Order: sequence, then C-alpha cells, then structure tokens
Amino acid sequence: MDQFIQQFATGLSTGSLYAIIALALVLIYRSTGIVNFAQGEMAMFMTFTAWSVWNWDSNFWLAFFITLIIAAAFGALIELVALRPVESGPVLNPIIVTIGLVLILDSLALRIWQGQPKPFPSPAMFKGAPLSIGPADISRTNVGVFCMSLLIMALIYLFFNKTKVGLAMRATAQDRVAGSLVGIRVGRMLALGWVLSSMVGAVAGMLLAPTLFLSPTMMAGALLFAFAAAVLGGLDSPVGAIVGGLTMGVVQNMAGTYIGSNIDITVAFVVIIAILLVRPRGLFGRKAIQRV
Amino acid sequence: MVRVLLRPRTFVMAAGLAVLIAFPYLYRLPFFDNYLSDFRTFQATRFAIWIIVLMGLNLLTGYSGQISLGHAAFVAVGAYIAAILMKDAGLPVFAAVLAAALLTGLLGFLIGAPALRLSGPYLAIATLALIIVLPQILKHPSIDQWTGGVSGIRISSPRVPASMHNNLDMNTDQWLYYNCMLAALIMTAMAWSVTRSRLGRAFIALRDSEIGAQQMGINVSLYKMTAFGLSSLYAGAGGALYLYQQYYVGPTSFDITFSLTLLIMIVLGGLASISGAVFAALIFTVKDDLTNFIVAHIPFGEKIGIESSRGALFGLLLIVSIIFTPRGIAGNLRKQKEARPGGPRKSRIAALVNKIGLFSRKEAQASSD
Repeated sequence: MDQFIQQFATGLSTGSLYAIIALALVLIYRSTGIVNFAQGEMAMFMTFTAWSVWNWDSNFWLAFFITLIIAAAFGALIELVALRPVESGPVLNPIIVTIGLVLILDSLALRIWQGQPKPFPSPAMFKGAPLSIGPADISRTNVGVFCMSLLIMALIYLFFNKTKVGLAMRATAQDRVAGSLVGIRVGRMLALGWVLSSMVGAVAGMLLAPTLFLSPTMMAGALLFAFAAAVLGGLDSPVGAIVGGLTMGVVQNMAGTYIGSNIDITVAFVVIIAILLVRPRGLFGRKAIQRV
Repeated sequence: MVRVLLRPRTFVMAAGLAVLIAFPYLYRLPFFDNYLSDFRTFQATRFAIWIIVLMGLNLLTGYSGQISLGHAAFVAVGAYIAAILMKDAGLPVFAAVLAAALLTGLLGFLIGAPALRLSGPYLAIATLALIIVLPQILKHPSIDQWTGGVSGIRISSPRVPASMHNNLDMNTDQWLYYNCMLAALIMTAMAWSVTRSRLGRAFIALRDSEIGAQQMGINVSLYKMTAFGLSSLYAGAGGALYLYQQYYVGPTSFDITFSLTLLIMIVLGGLASISGAVFAALIFTVKDDLTNFIVAHIPFGEKIGIESSRGALFGLLLIVSIIFTPRGIAGNLRKQKEARPGGPRKSRIAALVNKIGLFSRKEAQASSD
C-alpha cells in the first residue's frame, strides 16, 4: 500500500510537469485554434534566455521577470513573422509552420548554447528536503510546479471568462469573420494568444529546468505527453489540462510499476485513447455543435 | 483508338516512360555520367518508394480530410511483416510485399474504426500515439522472437536474377529501381482511378462536409475506415519495398520526425492531388541534397556558421515555402492554370494539331485538357 501511495505521488509529480506544458498548449489552442508543436522548443529557448540573464545577474527572480518580458516579445514576433502569413490559408499550414519553428529553434539553441546540459537555479523556496505527505515523499520543486499550474489555470480561467479581452479572444478563435464583424481586432487577439502562451511556456521551462536539466532537447519527451494530456483533458479546457496531465503521469507511473517499465508509454496511450473513445472531445472539452 | 494514341498527353506519357526506363543506364553514357551514378539510381528507387507512401497519405489526409501524424507506424508495420514473411516463412519477395501491403491495409482498416469518433487535432494526436508507442511494442519480450527486439530484422540482400544480370548487365541498384518504379507506377495508376471513382468522390464529399455527405447517402463510417485501410495498404507496400531495398528494419527505422515529415511533404507537394504526391516524394528525396547545396553555395556562409545551422535552414525553407505556396506545388500550378484569362490554356501541341486539322475542333479541345 505504501508503495502504491509513493508511486501515486511520484506520478502526480511527473504529471504536474505535463500539466503545466499542457496549459500553454490549451492557451494557444483556445485563442488561435492552432496546435502548437513548437511550444516545447519555445519554452526551451526562453529558459536558455533566462539562464543567460541569470549568468549576467544571479538573482533568480530578476532573471525570471526579465525573461517573461522577453518571452512576450518573442511570442508576438513569432506570430507576426511566421504565423500571420498562413493564418488565412488551409488548416494544416499553421501546424507545418510550427514544426518548421521546432527545427529552427532547436538548431539555433544548439548553436548559441551548445548541447551539454546546464545546471539551472531553482528559487530558494523550492530547495530543501522533500515534503512528506503521509507515507509518500514529494519534492518541493514538484509541489511548486503543481501550485504554479493551479495558479496559472485560475488566471487563465478568470481571463477567458471574466475579462472583455479574454472573451474577444475566445470569439476570435471560434469564428474569425464573426469576430471581426463585431469589431474585434482579430490580428491583435491572435498575437496576444501567442504572447500569453509564450509567457506560460517560459514559466513552465524555468520551473522544470532544475529537474529536467537545461539542454536543447529538454522538452522533447515531455511535450508529447503534454499533447496527450491536453487532448485527454480537452484542448480548450484549462482544468482539463491539469487533470489530463496528472492522469497521464499517474497512469504512466502505475503502468511502469505494476505492468512493466518496458510497456509504460504504450499502456498510458491505450488508456488515453480508450477515454477519448468515450469522450471524443476530452474529459472537459466542449463538443462543437454545428448548425447546417 | 488511333485518336487516343495521337493525343498530346499520350506522347508526353510515352516520353516520360522512356526516361523512366532508360534512367538507371543513362550514367553509362557520356555527359550523363557527370550527374548520374548508381547512387542516383538508389535515390530514384527511394523516390519511387516515397511516391507510394505519400500517395497513400494523400488519399487519407488530402482526399478524405483525416489528419494522420502517425502514418510512419504503418510503413514500419509493412516493413516488419514483409521481413518476417521473407525471413521466417521464406516467402518470395513479390508475395511478401503483396501480403505485407494487404495485411497492413487490413490493420489500418481496423484502426480506422476507433478513429471514427475522433476528428481534427484529437485524431492527429491519437494517430501520433501510434508512432510513439510502436518502438515499445516492437521491443516487447512477448514478440521479440519475431521482431528481433532492439536489433531488428536483417534479411538477405536482394539478388538480381541471373538472366537480367547476364543479358542486360544489370546490378542490384538497377534491379531494385525497376521493381520499385513499376510498383510506384501501378499504385499511382490505382490511386488515380480511385480518386476518379465513386470511392474517391465519396472521400472528397466526406472531407468537405460530413453532414452533407451523410445526406447524400454516403456511409460515413465505412468510407472513413476504407480511407484508413487504403492509405495503410499504400504505407505497407512502401514499407515492404523499403525493407527490400535496405534489407534491414529496426524499431528506430521510422521515428516521429519521419512521421511528421511525411505530412509536411504532402502539404508542400499539394494536398488532394496525384501529382502533388509525386512532387512531395521528389522534395522528400532531394531535401538533404538541396540543403547541402544551399549550405555550400550561400554567400558569407562560413561567417554566419551555416554549417552548424542546417536544421534552422531547413526549417526556414519549410516556412518560406508554406507562406509562398500555401496550396503546395500542385495546388499552385493548378491555380495558375485556372487564373489565366479565358480558362486553362490549350497546350501548344493541341494548337498545332488544331491547325493541321487532324480532328474536329471539339475533340482537339477535349484532348488538350
């Protein structure tokens, strides 16, 4: 039983990592309708930027906030330069552009910061002995990541449901023509979506870097699971991203412990697809009703 | 019949066929030996294999509108089935390739069933799961006596029949080229006729409006599964031929990057178009050569360290081409043709034929488009 609880807790820790990346994916999907394959690479790139800032002035929180500002500009730049020209084209084109971005960012990061993993500072409050909850131990970083995910989720919920800009962004994602007809500046809303998701990605990267180690490939593995988590929870639901991420982490860990570590990923994906078959729009996703 | 033979399109096709047949021997002639070699023949064989794989993906994504990010999984399954049939069951190559194609097609048809409920990004990620989990399944101890686990399967290298070798001085690369190119031609013709049949029209109807298609009496589930099955059949055939050329397949032969690249290529070539799939295969075959060429010839390349930014360069090319040809090469060509004043231009040969007055005006026009 103790082993079960410990494995469950470990699963939650891994899951919180998937959850926070999934949140960034949900954010961009909700505001632009694009599945962003470059999310992991954008986060990695921003984390390296944070590392450079931190090397220049070794105050974690200063580096953190400077990076957030850079990330906002970075998101806007990507939207303006790479995504805007393909927005009105066929649906697959933006996805292809984000895959192109993956290649560019990977290659540039490797050139600028080289391949060997770098240590990344963790804020003082995440350091120290793991917390004990009942029989299970859970590291402070993971608790921090989890709390941060919850905070971001709450902010996203409030932003999209209670503010005018948030509502305008949702309207844009759903129907651009109708959005512009009621006076929404569609282009700005899409750019804002990229700005926000780039910032969430940067936060995710900075929180995860101490555990994953900072390297150009740090996000590659986690991103695929984050995708699965976002889809499982429902691509347009922030709550879904968290629940999906945690479920993904727990299932993967349980399968690894009780079925075999050589088949854990397979079991996790089988579970996800089984859930999707019952709920094709994810656990918390809303079904799009189309009137003919 | 004579009229059919005199059509300009017939001449173009005959010329194209002649080039395809002569290609592997051209490098033995002066002038061509500067550019061609057995390696180019090897690449042309790969090109034929990619035509088959991408033609299948285009039937699924381009025609029936279902995005698959995990198509490489079916290519891998085809290669493994063929390898097992050749090595363990001792089947001849032709039978093994055919059986691999059919079995992969059947598997795809069955996987198409759960896919029925999913669409858009949900389907995309669910299919991506196929290629993510495949290496784990292939390496699993319960089946590694057949799949060879981590080390994969090595089959005996392809052998040129003695008669071909003696009479035509044919080497392995040339033999493989003819086999794969013939398969590619047959499967292209098959795809061409499918897209112009009831089945192909149903795929298009489904893609454009599922509800509309249903109203027209199209069995949506059956046709969606058929699209999956058909495209997997192509992937399986391509995978089996890949194995024949490479005589090795392992759990990492086809990875996620490869799978995503397949989708990128059909978008670059042109969705929902037969020639689009051929363009896609061409880009796929030459993309590394093209990147190398640019790296070698770009001005100030050394100063900006272009050598170590190959990935960035390829990504940039990708984004630029998507921005400038949003409907792929085939889509762009079609658009130019349609945009010309007075509709599609008559070909020069057709105009000439018209002048000579071989056919009545109406027929000459019909044969020109």
